[in-house]
Amino acid sequence: MDLTLDGVGTRLGGRWVVDGIDATPPAGHLTGLLGPNGAGKTTLLRLVAGLLPPEKGAVLIDDAPVHELPRRSRARRVALLEQESTSTVPLTVHEVVSLGRIPYRSLWGTDPDATAVDRALVSAQAGHLADRPWSSLSGGERQRVQIARALAQEPELLLLDEPTNHLDVSAQLSLLAFVRDLGTTTVAALHDLNLAAAFCEHVLVLADGHLAAAGHPREVLTPELLRRVYGVEADILQHPRTGRPVIAFHEPTRDA
Amino acid sequence: MPRTRPYLLTAVAALTLVACSPQSSPEAAPAETTSATFAPVTVDNCGTEVEVTAPPTKVVTIKSTATEMLLALGLQDAMIGTAFADGPVPEQYEAASAQIPVVSEKVPGQEALLGLAPDFVYAGWESNFSADGAGDRAVLHDLGITTYVSPAACKEAGYMPDPLTFDEVADEIREVAAIFGVPERAEELVAEQQATLAAVQQPADETTALWYSSGTDSPYVGAGIGAPQMIMDAAGLTNIFADVHDSWTSTGWEQVVAADPDVIVLVDAAWNTAEKKIGLLESNPATSQLTAVQEKRYLVVPFAAGEAGVRNADAVASLSDQLAELG
Amino acid sequence: MRARTPLPLLVLAGLAALVVTVLVAVTIGPADLGVAEVARSIAGHLRLPVDGVPRLHDAIVWDLRLPRVLTAAAVGAGLALAGAVMQSLTRNPLADPYLLGLSSGASLGAVAVLVVGVSLLLPVAAFAGALLALVATLALARSGSTLSPGRTVLAGLAVSQMAAAATSFVIFWSSTGDSYREILNWLLGSLAGATWTSVAIAGVAVVVVGTVLVLSATRLDAFAFGDTSAAALGIDVDRTRWTLMTVVALLTGAMVAVSGAIGFVGLILPHAVSSLTGPAHRRLLPVAALSGGVFLIWADTLARTVFDPRELPVGIVTALIGVPVFAFLLRRGKGSAWT
Repeated sequence: MDLTLDGVGTRLGGRWVVDGIDATPPAGHLTGLLGPNGAGKTTLLRLVAGLLPPEKGAVLIDDAPVHELPRRSRARRVALLEQESTSTVPLTVHEVVSLGRIPYRSLWGTDPDATAVDRALVSAQAGHLADRPWSSLSGGERQRVQIARALAQEPELLLLDEPTNHLDVSAQLSLLAFVRDLGTTTVAALHDLNLAAAFCEHVLVLADGHLAAAGHPREVLTPELLRRVYGVEADILQHPRTGRPVIAFHEPTRDA
Repeated sequence: MPRTRPYLLTAVAALTLVACSPQSSPEAAPAETTSATFAPVTVDNCGTEVEVTAPPTKVVTIKSTATEMLLALGLQDAMIGTAFADGPVPEQYEAASAQIPVVSEKVPGQEALLGLAPDFVYAGWESNFSADGAGDRAVLHDLGITTYVSPAACKEAGYMPDPLTFDEVADEIREVAAIFGVPERAEELVAEQQATLAAVQQPADETTALWYSSGTDSPYVGAGIGAPQMIMDAAGLTNIFADVHDSWTSTGWEQVVAADPDVIVLVDAAWNTAEKKIGLLESNPATSQLTAVQEKRYLVVPFAAGEAGVRNADAVASLSDQLAELG
Repeated sequence: MRARTPLPLLVLAGLAALVVTVLVAVTIGPADLGVAEVARSIAGHLRLPVDGVPRLHDAIVWDLRLPRVLTAAAVGAGLALAGAVMQSLTRNPLADPYLLGLSSGASLGAVAVLVVGVSLLLPVAAFAGALLALVATLALARSGSTLSPGRTVLAGLAVSQMAAAATSFVIFWSSTGDSYREILNWLLGSLAGATWTSVAIAGVAVVVVGTVLVLSATRLDAFAFGDTSAAALGIDVDRTRWTLMTVVALLTGAMVAVSGAIGFVGLILPHAVSSLTGPAHRRLLPVAALSGGVFLIWADTLARTVFDPRELPVGIVTALIGVPVFAFLLRRGKGSAWT
């Protein structure tokens, strides 16, 4: 599957929050979507998911504009995990994951692939949670179950909005490792630059709705870019075991 | 006639002469008559103490029963306004009421009432005196306005007539007459009513009746202790809801159909005519099966005659006549 | 869904309970009729070869009790469906046609045409009233693109009070005498006026709208995590919401046209039933509808018999039963999801 962002942009409240992004996240790999708060990460994810029609340019999946795909078939190809997943409905984990099968259900609500939910639960390592009430899960467990829900959609493209928010360190690491090893084309908006540097094959850095840089973290995450985009000083070190970049931030200067 | 007590007959004869005098010299009459026989009155009216030290001269009445009570006592010259008429006044009061301004078609608001500067307000229902109606009784009292409610309409335990009788109606006539200093007119009126009632022919066989006041989905009917019961009793009708301890009650059509009354008394009001009620009874598939509906055995009573007041006796006579016509 | 009772079994049990309830309720009433007589009356109308019953007893069974019981069944089912669907579409466990002002809006529409005197338009006006109230509530509740449960309930309360006040005003302004009792019937709900026409209006509305809703069960499921999540699952969020809300307004209009604004059925039944069926709408909706029918028949049987020969508006009974049940459900810990 080829994903292409072709000069895509849109306005919210009159302002161009995403403005002419060109990018080609590598197929089958994890791409990190970086940038300070308000840079347009969530809006770009919604554009890529086809939930928001672009005002200029397009997002192409295998050369077809994603927002023009029929809704159901799009939902079978693209899955989106929102930043916050809350529900007032007393669902069990199994029921949450079955929501991912909605694009496949018949008019009478039957799923042509009866084992899909269980497979998704197992592959997200959430099989043991199946009968638990959703409301009783920890933050890490909830993200895992939401991933299972997304996997139940059997997507070619997985979009994650801040998936590591509210997770403890071990849950952050295992979640990103899991997503990286899925082999599905994935774009994840990430807050933590070190996590992005450690797990992403490719990063897109947004600043004010524009694409500031794109490429492998080693090439993109330079002290100069961090200064320009985030307004911080940092040294880039090398991870002693993986060889990946590690960002060591400086203390802010007093007059900064 | 044989049941009329002799001393009342005498009273009627004597008072007829007195009652005729205002007609001959209307401009001076009220002052003359009232000053002659007025004595200060204090009554416990539905739990409110009402003290009258001089006959009221600027009276507003609310509801037909109150208006007609004063007209029947020939007190139209003391009336400065009427409100909330349930229907036209009976023919014999038409001339007297024509000159009295109609304040409001419904309950007048407190300000509208105060604007008339009345010294006495006479209401047919207790609920007419409320902050969102004509005003609270205590508030009006502080403003120097005497309030009076038809005693038969009191709702408080101990004040609510249980059951209402023609003696209580007569008591109200006498009480109102005393307030206005015209006791002799009360005796005349009471005697007239007694005579009317005495002349009523009772039906030969037991005749069951429904007093249908209003309501479409849930009929609102005359129950066991109020004016409807009193009137039906006197006309020799057996109320099918006589065992409900209330003046009126809301009930269901099932109870009515189960009882299948011999006749139906229809209350005729401007906003809900007897004609409309007949239409409802005939179009409802269940009530259309009632014997009284199929045989069109209806009796009609004007709304204002169906609440405790001076028209009850005539209502009894009218029901009795209508019943006789039905055969 | 694991270890949940199979849907066909639940529906069969619900249908059986409904049929038994109808048959029992029709033998209960202020008039003293025997079970055999009631059965013969109904059988006679179904053209079965049985001995006739006295004309008036037949009228009580066939023209008063049966249409009333069947109307109660249809209205109860309709209100439960409407409640369940509104709770899902607004993501608000407190949503129901009564709380969000639809019922009051429908009452206002109904009363307004009654005053004008064109009672043929009554169901249409009730529908229009419900729809207007719905639009007003959602417009008031919406801040930006989100629809918070708290704001929705507050907006519903405002709209419902407004519509109730307008209804009272219309009646106050247009009538004299003791017509306040008619106001009560519209505001509190009553099935006392049920006829075979009511059965037809409410019954057709429930069957038609119920079918549409059950066929929309999957789309309703998709709203569990909100609009964006539903859109990502391939649902046309705006169209689905407005279509189904309009359908619910239609259903509410039909219910109110025959019975006034009966509260708490739509609020309580979906919650009470979901512990049995789970939240999946394909299971929840049919079972909620059947239980709503059973519930309202019993509530109305109480309303017409407990204070014989007087009658209570059935809305008082549903509130008296509904509020404690609601309190129980809240306290049972389900409240944690109801922030």
